Amino acid sequence: MATIKVTDLRKEFVTDTSTVVAIENVSFEVGGHEFVSVVGPSGCGKSTLLNILSGIESATRGTVDITEGDRQAKLGYVFQSARLLPWRSVIDNLLFVQSTRGPQVRARCERYLDMVQLAHTARQYPGQLSGGMQQRVGIARAFSIEPDLLLMDEPFSHLDAITARSLRRELHAMWQETRKTVLFVTHDVSEAVELSTRIIMLARGGRLVADLPVELPFPRDPASDAVALARADLLRRFESLDLLAT
Amino acid sequence: MQTNLRPRRPAAPPSPGGDERAARRRAERRARWLWRIAGYVFFVGLWQFTSSFLVADFIVPPPAVILTEMWDIIASGQVWVHFGATLRTIAIGFAIAFVLGSATGLLMGRSRWWEAFLSDWVMATLTTPGLIFALVTAMIFGLGPTGPIVAVVVTSFSYVTVNVVEGVKAVPRDLTDMARSFGRGPAQILRHVYLPFLAPYFFTATRYGFSIAWKIATLAEVIVGTAGIGFMMRQQFQQFSMRGFLAWVLLFFAFALFLERVVLQRRMRHVLRWRPEVAR
Repeated sequence: MATIKVTDLRKEFVTDTSTVVAIENVSFEVGGHEFVSVVGPSGCGKSTLLNILSGIESATRGTVDITEGDRQAKLGYVFQSARLLPWRSVIDNLLFVQSTRGPQVRARCERYLDMVQLAHTARQYPGQLSGGMQQRVGIARAFSIEPDLLLMDEPFSHLDAITARSLRRELHAMWQETRKTVLFVTHDVSEAVELSTRIIMLARGGRLVADLPVELPFPRDPASDAVALARADLLRRFESLDLLAT
Repeated sequence: MQTNLRPRRPAAPPSPGGDERAARRRAERRARWLWRIAGYVFFVGLWQFTSSFLVADFIVPPPAVILTEMWDIIASGQVWVHFGATLRTIAIGFAIAFVLGSATGLLMGRSRWWEAFLSDWVMATLTTPGLIFALVTAMIFGLGPTGPIVAVVVTSFSYVTVNVVEGVKAVPRDLTDMARSFGRGPAQILRHVYLPFLAPYFFTATRYGFSIAWKIATLAEVIVGTAGIGFMMRQQFQQFSMRGFLAWVLLFFAFALFLERVVLQRRMRHVLRWRPEVAR
């Protein structure tokens, strides 16, 4: 199981006229078969945090250790938009991110396409698929490298409610089946309650203001009383923490 | 790891409007061809009218006379000798320009320091009339094939560079970040992200660069060539043979059109088949 250890993380963006602090002194640990959601208002540094964890951006200060036992953990990333290479077919998009080649690797990619119910689109180009289908390919791509840790940055935020709900179910099933560690960024509290075992809250200015377990049994019906109560409780906490204050 | 796969979903059925759309596309293609043929009929008709009623036919000979002359040039074998010479000049010159221009474009697009270092010089070659390069290379290299080749390199190079710079700057950061987040190295990102994204820019560069190369190669041959289409045009000009001159011009036009329509556009359609507007 992958372990993430973030210590005293700070990220500044320097512009011509000012310095913007995106993340301020954030420390937390995630490990094992956890599904951790990072929630907070827009501009609180959620995506920046994932970009630092994935190595796309570097931290101004602090350390990030992502390990699997005594080695560096392998990361899979699902972005807000699918970010597929439009000139490669669906299956070739999955093959592009593999570090090895061969029939076994191809079979693995096909298996994950099948898991998101898109095996029939393997030879199509991304431009021939709907937004929801492209996002499912993005999820299959991230799972196909069999990562130790899965980073997901508001993957359903651009989708309609019905597609998003169906993809949340698929994601939960895949998480249960593959037992990956997942760090999931969202601004949707309901989504966080439905999927997570733990919720980390960030406020504007990138401060970590709460780290709470979600102790509800799976599967969680978003329309159930238990989930509604948990959601209401979290929203009350958010309000009391004054997340919008910098 | 478990492989508890769900049942495979059957392939999506063909959309009911598919046949109708295909028929519409076919009709559109037919209409485009008809308009193209109409364009030829109109301009050849205008030419015939001009030479019959407006200008003496030794100044503008009628189309049938020029076609006969073109056939004579082809039948005599001269066309292969001189087209071969011009094509060799263009192929060598443009290949060098393409490699140099692509490398310079990649460098300038990815580094603002290199852009600052080179941009004014590239702009200078882009805006300088080709005739100047044709004359300068003629003075430096004298009679023979080297001058025209160098003139082609210098003039086409900047067209390739400018297009590649624009392309490199437009590469979506989302895609390069995605590739980096999955651990892809610089060489893989260059090959699988940059180059495919730049393909349309390369094609635009090739079309413009190639058309410039044709013009400069012919111009340089007119000045210092010992063989080639430009050399033959000069000969016809010196004999004041409008017939021979126009026959060579039209052969040149036909060949350039063949390269554009048959070679470049087909290749472009194949490489860009992933784009919905090309796939149509």
